[in-house]
Amino acid sequence: MLLPIIGILIGIILGLVLPVHIPTAYSPYMSIAVLAALDSVFGGIRASLEKKFETDAFISGFFGNALLAAGLAYIGDRLDVPIYLAAIFAFGSRLFQNFAMIRRFFLNRMRERFR
Amino acid sequence: MSRKLRAQIAVSLVSLILGLALAAQFKNVQKVGGSVSLQRTQELTRQVQKLEQENEALESQIREYERRISEFENAAKDEGQSNKLIYEELERIRMLAGLVEMQGPGVVVTVNVKYVSEWGEDAIIQNVRYDDLLKLVNELNAAGAEAVAVNGERIIATTEIRNAGDYIVINTNRYSAPFEIKAVGNPETLEAALKLLGGVADDLGAYLHISIRRDDNIRIPRYSGTLQYKFARPLQENKS
Repeated sequence: MLLPIIGILIGIILGLVLPVHIPTAYSPYMSIAVLAALDSVFGGIRASLEKKFETDAFISGFFGNALLAAGLAYIGDRLDVPIYLAAIFAFGSRLFQNFAMIRRFFLNRMRERFR
Repeated sequence: MSRKLRAQIAVSLVSLILGLALAAQFKNVQKVGGSVSLQRTQELTRQVQKLEQENEALESQIREYERRISEFENAAKDEGQSNKLIYEELERIRMLAGLVEMQGPGVVVTVNVKYVSEWGEDAIIQNVRYDDLLKLVNELNAAGAEAVAVNGERIIATTEIRNAGDYIVINTNRYSAPFEIKAVGNPETLEAALKLLGGVADDLGAYLHISIRRDDNIRIPRYSGTLQYKFARPLQENKS
């Protein structure tokens, strides 16, 4: 549980320090990709808490989701169809669901401990 | 490698990438300025595209002019003696066309609206109309003004002075009162022409506030627009 948080913190620090630069034109696609990646990480945390974590599924889900989301957003932009809304909706709702599961898990654990 | 360790490495790696992406995106958004609405972005994009097109047109015009300048320079190289004459002629024609900033003695006429007190409230009698300005410019030209500018807009052959809503358009730019007309010429003649008994100043003075001031050194800006002929071309004489 601690590992992803440390990883994200290190990544943020590295990203702020290193001259990583994404062209402004790709900013919207990047934001979708970030959302997808965030969803994957939350999904991974949830799976590991439920002891159902599979490394292959996690890695492929992370990159696959991010690429698919960004690609769909790009195609949507070309076709003037706001597909990115679908991506935001899907990943956003899943994010909250995953968070809810994680929350329940910890609440249950605490309840058991104090009983 | 144990399953657990592999999973942990995978999670850390992915989180690291996520953090990197988050930071990059964060920096990007900060640079752009954050929450700019989609409509605003599209509007600005359209504006940029329009301006880029205009820019391109202007650049091609510049290239055309540069090409012509180099042609002239080549011609000057060939006939070194006569090029001074040509240059002087060119300068004179540019002066006549209003493409050179000018200075000299003349008059400055300020035109503003006149206020009257109406039941304790200040009200203007009449706004400055385009024909008021035209009359003044006309009179100045008749009195031998050599260069005239209204609110910094050089009056040239194609200059328009016309009403557009609450504004007066001069050289396609919009202005409203007060107006300042600068004219280079013989100051006494110019002033006298305006102040003639029953003349323009008298006429307009009934409803506008007009002040005429002589000045020994007036600066008149050059015409800043572009001059282009699309339809007119010089008459070709029959040479046969």
